[in-house]
Parts: sequence; structure tokens; C-alpha cells
Amino acid sequence: MTEPPIVEARHVSRTFPMAAAPVAALRDVSLGIASGEYVAVVGPSGCGKSTLLHILGCVDVPTGGEVLFHGRGVSSLSDGDRSRLRLRELGFVFQRFFLLPMLTAWENVELPQAEAGVDRAVRRRRATELLEYVGLSNRAGHRPSELSGGEMQRVAIARALANRPRLLLADEPTGELDQQTGGQIVTLLDELHKDGTAVVVVTHDMAVAARAHRLLTMRDGQIVESTSR
Amino acid sequence: MLRALHFAWRNSVRQPGRTCLGVLGVAAVGALLFDMLLLSHGLVLSFRDLLDRAGFDVRVLATDAAPLSGPRIVDAEAAVAAIARLPQVEAAVPVSIRNAEIVSQSEGARPIRVQFLGADPNARPMWTVIDGRDLSAGASAGSPLLVNRALAARLGVAPGSTVSLRGSCGPGSAALPQMRFAIVGVAEFPFDDAAAETVAGPISSLAGLCGDEPGSSVDMLLVRSNPKDGSESAAAAIRARLRGLHVVTNGELVERFSRVEFSYFRQISFVLATVTMFFGFLLIAVLLTASVNERLGEIAALRAVGLSRGRVVAGVLFESMMMVGAGAILAVPVGLALSVWLDGILRALPGIPTDVHFFVFESRALVSYAWLLGAASVGAALYPMRIVATLPIAATLRREVVG
Repeated sequence: MTEPPIVEARHVSRTFPMAAAPVAALRDVSLGIASGEYVAVVGPSGCGKSTLLHILGCVDVPTGGEVLFHGRGVSSLSDGDRSRLRLRELGFVFQRFFLLPMLTAWENVELPQAEAGVDRAVRRRRATELLEYVGLSNRAGHRPSELSGGEMQRVAIARALANRPRLLLADEPTGELDQQTGGQIVTLLDELHKDGTAVVVVTHDMAVAARAHRLLTMRDGQIVESTSR
Repeated sequence: MLRALHFAWRNSVRQPGRTCLGVLGVAAVGALLFDMLLLSHGLVLSFRDLLDRAGFDVRVLATDAAPLSGPRIVDAEAAVAAIARLPQVEAAVPVSIRNAEIVSQSEGARPIRVQFLGADPNARPMWTVIDGRDLSAGASAGSPLLVNRALAARLGVAPGSTVSLRGSCGPGSAALPQMRFAIVGVAEFPFDDAAAETVAGPISSLAGLCGDEPGSSVDMLLVRSNPKDGSESAAAAIRARLRGLHVVTNGELVERFSRVEFSYFRQISFVLATVTMFFGFLLIAVLLTASVNERLGEIAALRAVGLSRGRVVAGVLFESMMMVGAGAILAVPVGLALSVWLDGILRALPGIPTDVHFFVFESRALVSYAWLLGAASVGAALYPMRIVATLPIAATLRREVVG
């Protein structure tokens, strides 16, 4: 018997009501992300990549179709249950990092664990390990304003991994970085995948997408091509 | 809870300028609010204290007119005797207050108009002797007299001096003879204002000064109730015994003044406290809303990371409470200092007894102050809390990236 996907979208559509006319960002999209997969989503701006990522990450709800997490419908979950699901099962990496400026790198990484009620000693150890993992153990006490863009994104990745998520969702993780720094982030995502975390990355950068095992190409709110390596 | 508080604290200190502005604004608003709360009951409390300090808790008057503004009690001696016989009464003292003139011995000098307080020299005094002796202690060359500090200074007299007085007790007073008094002491009178020139002497001397028959009529009877019965019981007994007279306890008098004469201050304090609260509410609401609007992307990211809606909403509430709390604590000493200054200005008004205070500290005012500011901090946080609670995570993240 095959293991069910971590997250599965079934005939998902997402329409945004607009003053002029409703805009269909996703149209009848179906896909599943299995444990340990590395998936890249590419396509032109406005094709629905980020919307798909948000729906898979349970921060948005589809206007049609269904999203299942571990085989359970997400639509029926309360806001609190969806928050808990995101906290414990998912990791988010954003293009603009969104680290809390008043917290140090170490505190930013510790935050999701504290929120999940992890014991103080355990979360301290975990935060230290994660900063070491992303190569920033020497920058733990620095605030985001004292870090470079690449360092901030590495802290954001460490934060995303804090509660050992099954699935990491990255939205243009190299979008704000130069090529060299972006390369370091891609290498880090590769390592994460090798260590067993499923990764979905939305990107414009084909060099980033080339590292994935499955490449989904989107256009006009639909997946028009799926290529596996 | 502790995490949310810690988080709110870190959020507050990340923008020290704005937080300081908020705290100082709340401190200014809080100081005014605190003062208005002190003012709302201050005069009543002070008046009550003034009445109680005289040592009598029931007043008997001829009518329900304000004390000393209505007709006099006739056949006072009999009334005093009847009241004193009541078991609920410990002591009853007749009091008269009339105008008099101090006649100067110098040729052409104008007489000095004073208020003469006539009381039983053997009863517990309503004044505080600060120099010399009281009316009852020892013998004196003439009729004994106490003068207040202002008059003593103006006349340049001290215990042992003598003065001549003429009654100014209505039509025909000019024909009244002068009487010589021996000043036995200098005293403070509780109902004196800053400019008052008051003397006190035996009620019989005052009757003589005005050409009245001693014991015939007085302005007021002061009664001290028996402690085990209390003022209400004593007042009821007097009312039953002397149906033609108006009997009022200190409590009733305070209540009446509070309802009528002092209501002006209560209304002013209510209006100013409401306006102050409104400005405080607006200040915090605007600062918090601006702060939240600047952090929408960050808040959406925190929600995406897994922080619950309640958690981020609580963060905004705690920020509001911290800002208001810090400002409120700072406001108390500022408000107290301000109240002393304002009290000095109001007490300098003519006709205000120097022992009366407009701003009086009481723990009840502090409790009300804490409740009002607490409510303001919650109320001011409602709108920014709503922004955070209803924040669409995906749309906000998208907007932040596009922006």
C-alpha cells in the first residue's frame, strides 16, 4: 500500500471577487505532494503559483474543490485547527523573510517552538542546532537589521524548520537575493530535502527549479505541464 | 500569556519614540483624569471633614435655610435644656454669629468689621488655639476674646491686649455701646477664608454687644450625639421633641451640599473626565492602529507560521495595556502635583474656608482611575484588534510582495 500524500489538492479553484469582474487565480488544479518530495512550481507572474502555495499551506481556502492534509479535509477545520496544523506540520519561507525585527536570529527561530509549547531547554537546543545547520551559529544574537539578505533568509528557513515540519513551502525564496546568495539558499533547500523534508518551492528562477525532482508549470491558473526527473 | 506579554513588550520597545509619545500622552491625559476624579468628591469629603472636626454631628436651626442664612432660634435656652435632657444627646451648645466692629482709639481711624462667633466658653471649642489660652481657662480683666491670626496681625495685638468692640447687629446698631474685651488667645477657625477677620467670645458677651437678652435667640444649636446611639437617632429624638425646629445631621448636610451647592464641581469634573478619557482613547487607538497597519505583513507571516488568531490579537491588547499602564503609573504623581497646584488656586478664591480642599485623595478615586484607564486601554485596542483578527493572511502576504 502506497503512503498517502502529505497534502493533496482535488479540483481546486480560487476566484477573487474584483470590482470589474471576478478573477480566477486557480482553475481545477489537482496535485499531491508526497513525503520527501521536492517540487518546483514555475510560470509567469500572475499564473497562480503563490495562490496554489497559499492553499497548500492552509493560509487560504479554495472557492471550489478540496484540500486534504494527511487525507483529512482542511475546509472543515476551524481557524485554530488550521493554525495548529501550520505550526506543527508546515514550514513557510517567504520572499521578504518576515523575521521579527525586535527579536534576535535565535529568538526568531525559537518563536514557533515556544508557540507550540516546546519545553524551554529543548527549544533552546533546537534553535541552536538549526542556526548551526544554516551556518549562522555565530550570528545567533544579531537582530535582522544586522544581517544580510542571505543571512535573513537562512534564519527564516531555520524558523520554518523549528517544529520539524513534514512539508516546507517556499515562495520565491531567492527573489530578493543576488545570484551567489540565492545559490546558498538553494543548496540549503537541497540539504533539507536530502534530510527527508518535502519541499515545494515557487520560483521564477529556472536554476532553482532545476534542483527539484518534479517541475510543475502553471499558466492562467492551471498546471499545464508536470515533469518528473 | 507570559509569552504574549513578553512579545508585546518587545513590540513596544522596538519603536521607542512612538511608545514614549504614547506613554507621555497617556500620562498627561491620566493626570487630568485623576485630578477630575479627586475633584468630583474632594469638596464633599473636605466639607464632611470640616464639619466633623468641629466635634458636633447634629445641627438644629430655626428653618431649613442654610446655616446662618435664615431666622434665629427663639427661646434658645429652653431648647438647649430640652435637647440636653435627651438620652441620645451627649452635649448641646448654642452658637451665634454676628457682625461687630473693632473701634479704634485713634482719632479718625475707621472701625474694622469682624465676624463675632459667640459660643459657650465651657463647651468643647470649635476652634484651635495657636497662641495664648482658650476662653474658659483662667480669669481675664474684661470679657475674654479670641482673635484669628489675620486680625491679630492687622491690629498688632497678642494675648494680654485689649480691644473695644461695638455690635453691628442690624438697624439701630449705631446706638449700641462699646464693650471692652481682653484678648486671651489667637485661634484658627475652621470656616475662615484667607481674608476673614474673626473673633470668638462667650455667647453672653455677644448678646450684650447686640443688646439682646442672654439666651433669648441664637443662630444654631450644635449637638453631639451619644456615641452609642449615633447622629440619626439623636436627630430623630430632637425632631420628636422640638417639632418647630429644623434638625440636620452632618451626613444630611453633606448630602444636601453635595446634591445642590457642590454639584457644579461634580458636573465639571464629569465633563472634563469624559473629554479627557475620549482624548486618551483616541490617542491610543490611533497609535495602535498605525502600528498594526505598519506591521500587517509581519502579522500575516506570523499567522502563516502558525501563531493563532487569539495570540496575535492578545498581543495588540497587551501592547495597549502596557502603554496605558505605564502612562497611568506616571500620571499619578503628576496628577497629585497638579492637584496641589490647582487646589491652591481654587482655595485662594474669596469666601472659601482655608481648611476646605477641592482635590482630596481617596483610595476610591484611585480604583476608579485604574478601572477607567483599563477600560480605555481595552476600548482603544478594539479596532486594531479587529484589524488583526480579520486579517486575510494570503491576500496580505501577496500585497506585501507586490507592494
